[in-house]
Amino acid sequence: MSNSLSDALRSKNDVEIAELFRARPDLISPVPADIGALAARANSMPSVMRACEALNKWQFDILTALCALSEPISLIELLAVTSKDAQATVHELEAKALIYKDGEHYRVPTNVRTLIGDTPAGLGPRGTATLDFGLLATAPKGALEILERMMWGPPKGQIADIKKAPAHIKWLLENKFLLAFDSQTVLLPREVAMHLRNGKIFKEIVPTQPPLKGTSRKQKDVDQAAIANISTIIRWVEELAHNWSDEPPTALRSGGLGVRDLKHSAEHLGIDEGCAAFVAEVTYIAGLVVIDSDDAILPTSAFDIWLSRSMDEKWYALACLWLESSRMSGLVGRGDSKSVSALGPELDRPGTPTLKKLTLALLSANPELDPELASMHENISWLAPARANSSYTEWILREAEWLGLSGQGAISTFGKRFLESDDLGIDDALPKPVDHILIQSDNSAIAPGPLTLEVANAMGTIADIESRGGATVYRFSETSIRRGLDHGQTGEAIIDFLRKTSKTPMPQPLEYLIVDVAKRHGRLRVGVATSYIRCEDEGLIAQIIHDRKLDGFGLRKLAPQVLIAESESAELISTLREAGYLPAAENQTGVLVSAPKLRRSKSRPKPPRSLTEPAAPLDVAIDAALRSLRVGEKATSHKPREVPRTSANETVELLHHYIAERSTLTIGYADTNGGVSNRMIEPKSISLGTLVAFDHSSGEIIHFRIPRITGVSLAE
Amino acid sequence: MSDGPLIVQSDKTLLLDVDHLLADDCRRAIAAFAELEKSPEHIHTYRLTPLGLWNARAAGHDAEHVIDTLLKYSRFAVPHALLVDIAETMSRYGRLRLEAHPVHGLVLVSHDPAVLKEVTRGKKIAPMLGLQLDDETIIVHPGQRGFLKQALLKLGWPAEDFAGYVDGEHHEIALREEGWSIRKYQAMAAEGFWHGGSGVVVLPCGAGKTIVGAAAMAHAKATTLILVTNTVAARQWRDELLRRTTLHEDEIGEYSGAKKEIRPVTIATYQVMTMRRNGLYSHLDLFDAIDWGLIIYDEVHLLPAPIFRFTADIQSRRRLGLTATLVREDGMEGEVFSLIGPKRFDVPWKEIESQGYIAPADCVEVRVTLTDAERLNYATAEVEDRYRFCSTTATKHKVAVALAKQHEDEQVLVIGQYLDQLDALGEDLGAPVIKGDTPVKERERLFNLYRAGEIKCLVVSKVANFSIDLPDATIAIQVSGTFGSRQEEAQRLGRVLRPKADGRGARFYSLVARDTVDQDFAANRQRFLAEQGYAYRIIDADDVLFGNRS
Repeated sequence: MSNSLSDALRSKNDVEIAELFRARPDLISPVPADIGALAARANSMPSVMRACEALNKWQFDILTALCALSEPISLIELLAVTSKDAQATVHELEAKALIYKDGEHYRVPTNVRTLIGDTPAGLGPRGTATLDFGLLATAPKGALEILERMMWGPPKGQIADIKKAPAHIKWLLENKFLLAFDSQTVLLPREVAMHLRNGKIFKEIVPTQPPLKGTSRKQKDVDQAAIANISTIIRWVEELAHNWSDEPPTALRSGGLGVRDLKHSAEHLGIDEGCAAFVAEVTYIAGLVVIDSDDAILPTSAFDIWLSRSMDEKWYALACLWLESSRMSGLVGRGDSKSVSALGPELDRPGTPTLKKLTLALLSANPELDPELASMHENISWLAPARANSSYTEWILREAEWLGLSGQGAISTFGKRFLESDDLGIDDALPKPVDHILIQSDNSAIAPGPLTLEVANAMGTIADIESRGGATVYRFSETSIRRGLDHGQTGEAIIDFLRKTSKTPMPQPLEYLIVDVAKRHGRLRVGVATSYIRCEDEGLIAQIIHDRKLDGFGLRKLAPQVLIAESESAELISTLREAGYLPAAENQTGVLVSAPKLRRSKSRPKPPRSLTEPAAPLDVAIDAALRSLRVGEKATSHKPREVPRTSANETVELLHHYIAERSTLTIGYADTNGGVSNRMIEPKSISLGTLVAFDHSSGEIIHFRIPRITGVSLAE
Repeated sequence: MSDGPLIVQSDKTLLLDVDHLLADDCRRAIAAFAELEKSPEHIHTYRLTPLGLWNARAAGHDAEHVIDTLLKYSRFAVPHALLVDIAETMSRYGRLRLEAHPVHGLVLVSHDPAVLKEVTRGKKIAPMLGLQLDDETIIVHPGQRGFLKQALLKLGWPAEDFAGYVDGEHHEIALREEGWSIRKYQAMAAEGFWHGGSGVVVLPCGAGKTIVGAAAMAHAKATTLILVTNTVAARQWRDELLRRTTLHEDEIGEYSGAKKEIRPVTIATYQVMTMRRNGLYSHLDLFDAIDWGLIIYDEVHLLPAPIFRFTADIQSRRRLGLTATLVREDGMEGEVFSLIGPKRFDVPWKEIESQGYIAPADCVEVRVTLTDAERLNYATAEVEDRYRFCSTTATKHKVAVALAKQHEDEQVLVIGQYLDQLDALGEDLGAPVIKGDTPVKERERLFNLYRAGEIKCLVVSKVANFSIDLPDATIAIQVSGTFGSRQEEAQRLGRVLRPKADGRGARFYSLVARDTVDQDFAANRQRFLAEQGYAYRIIDADDVLFGNRS
């Protein structure tokens, strides 16, 4: 009896078990009850898959090779078919419980074998016959070509008909160099393939990671580019949130940002849609925007806190969340039906954080190098063959660049510090915020650097932004000034603020513009009134407004001869009358109406029901009632209400018989749910498997399907 | 982080801090590839456009040079994406080439078959092309050179034109620098044009664009067709050419409503070129009358549409466009560039002013408060009549007269749009009025009297908006205009910008009715000048009327 995985695990000491837990953290939560449970879990498919995904190409190849050998596997045999470097790897795999020891030999747990598949490394099943490879020298023409085509797998070949196989294939089959699987399929036995592969399982097997190739960069240039990217991404994020605060997009029903909104955001930021999707995603995962319950996408209160934080903190938050997020923004718009949307539910891809970490680690290990995409992908494929995807690699590289983790493709100092959890030093590297602007005579103002939050907010309300970047160009216009006034500023306050903030003298036309707009702003007032009182006698108006009895109407004097009230005109009129005045109503055009307008409900008439005495019925109605009564009688008098049962042949025969006799019949009829009911009918004819008959209970001609008729009997 | 004078914005505008020590160096360096957009007092705005970058390529600058320049002068880190974009844009230039084939005439050549394939599949481009000779060469239908270049530009694959220009009929022309010498910027502009082959030179009014034209002719030494706005301008050109070049009177012809002379140098008016008889432009043949070596378009911002179309046909001739204000309210600036050629030279107005070649100007907006009766009439006027109403009110008239009286010792021009308004002003000021129906002879007589100082005040309609050279006018009073036209405002200011003998500054008054559409239009009109650094001052009409002399 061979050893099992649980036996193997049982023989491990605590250190080794701890190592296993570290290598495969999913085994420890929840803590298994005993070693048997641990072994079961270690051999469970999800756990095996997870463990295999974490292998690099070399480890995976060795594991595949192990699966290709017959159990129990000897180390010597493995080294012979792979490479002598494999020894250490076998120990690693064993430590991960992906193989286990059986004495001096090794075995592979069943699910690992299942995962690797029936044809590991493209090797077919073992043959049973002993083979004479010497014969191959005398193989007929074409036979060797067939073998060569199949030697690296897949080991299956299709032919038209094995009985009429051409001579060379026949020869191969006769000499057992091929096995017949079925009448159209041949297999290359494992031994033959191994012989053809010169006793090695893999064409080539790389025990070490390939070197990363690319263009070399200067760290100074890299950091310059990175800092530009860092300030840009933070500006984009804030700009996007501000934009969405002004014009909140509505989320799609499936969740996520619509194509049109994405396009709009991209245009607003002046970037392409791929980049806009990324900005939207980081803004979303940073919790700065949220999809509200009414589907509006709006900035959260966290965004206000965010605005007050330092650049270091802002960037650190973005970089951290990006790194840990499993969302792949590059997928946006790439779905087969273009349905994958930013902020949507379809962006999660397992393994994304691992790929991101691997990518950054690779960049970090190769400073001042802007790697070629192909080389990067080759490396990732070696490190995580199960997860590598060239599109993902490309997207992760460009996202790292957008974030400023890299600059000009190479890892930036900030990226490195981020990975080493060092002080980022971004605030020092970025230009210092300025607290002044330069106003020019063409009504534009320029902030020659990033503005302090306070000035930026104030400028945002009174001017429109024309150009963004290291500096900001603002333009003052009538609309922008009006917006400032709408926000509660006054003309003087705006002028004071600009005088204080501008390093250049305030141009006179701008001052005039502000004064002009302020002068006109609010000159027209709009409010709500329900009714009004007008009177040419101003004394009377004064008397009414001071009349205590009319206090509850919220009367307000708009002009010497006009009062407005918050109540309906009818109510106002009656109260005025009670108070001893003599009001009259007027209509929309000011014409006096002699009586108050009659009030009407807007709903349609809906009179209540009443209980009335029945009138004598019409003769027709009585006739109909009688007929119905009779039928009912006929139907119910058929007692006991047994469902007639006849065999199928009998049924048809009886029906034909009674159609000829024009009798009234009782049939059992099954409904679509299988329930059987009694029907009293007068059969008319049979056609196409249906019986056409008059049904007494409904008083109609009905088509009955004959197979559903359970039985027929003559009605009594 | 350097502390350079340039801020590179992510929308591809470049902000140049003119007060910075390195501003001048930087301006020179970026002028090669960026287009000057505006130049107010403190920060000038340039823009990186594909066209500008391709022109830089054409002039021999490569992407690396452009990027190095930006990095060198930039105050902040330059976004990497922008640099990549510059390199990519510039690499598109020259993949397609127009060449003269010894057998097949004009051909489109590219060593990149994919690009060739892409452009030939374009619906607009396919009809312009003929047979494909091989993988890299396609015949271009004769006469389509201009349209093809324009269409390729729109597709983003500008063709490098190696087909060259026809030299035209040789004619000896040289500058005659006797008692004057060509200014440095004029020479640079002419050279910039000559080097590029075709294009537009932008210089402020009064900065001597005629001399640039003459210098270009001296470079070409060939028969020249000059297109100008009107007969008076044509005669001014003629006089100027006689004074500045070796040309004789009988070498210069005038092709206008009055005369139809075709000489080695012919000056034609746009009006006669676009005149139609039986639905045909009967005078467009002038373009083929002589094998012209150079065609000059004066005031190219006014280029009328038929001439636009014709220009596309004559791509093999050298073309020079001259203007002070390349802004068209119809947004056709792009057409001018693609048909005449790119901007070859542009310089901020204030820069020429600081060199003393144009007079410093004080722009004043006079806010006129309408009387209550006028306001009421204005409010009830039909929307389309409102501008006319508010810009011709009696109050404005009174203010205009008062202003003119204030400056009665100086040479005053009163400029307006509405003829009855001008007639009334002429009457009250006792000044002659020049408008569309004034005969050319009479116009010339009045202008000459004015130049001689015998008339102190002239009232002119929009016929005097441009091209009229009145060196001693110092005061312009604008009472009404063509709605919000930016270039009209600038051109009118241009009438008083010729440097004065005594170094005096010029003053430009614009009368604006307060709280009316006049004020909105004025704000738009002033934008071009404000962007050139002319800061308007606003005064109240009452200050004029009640003697607080400003």
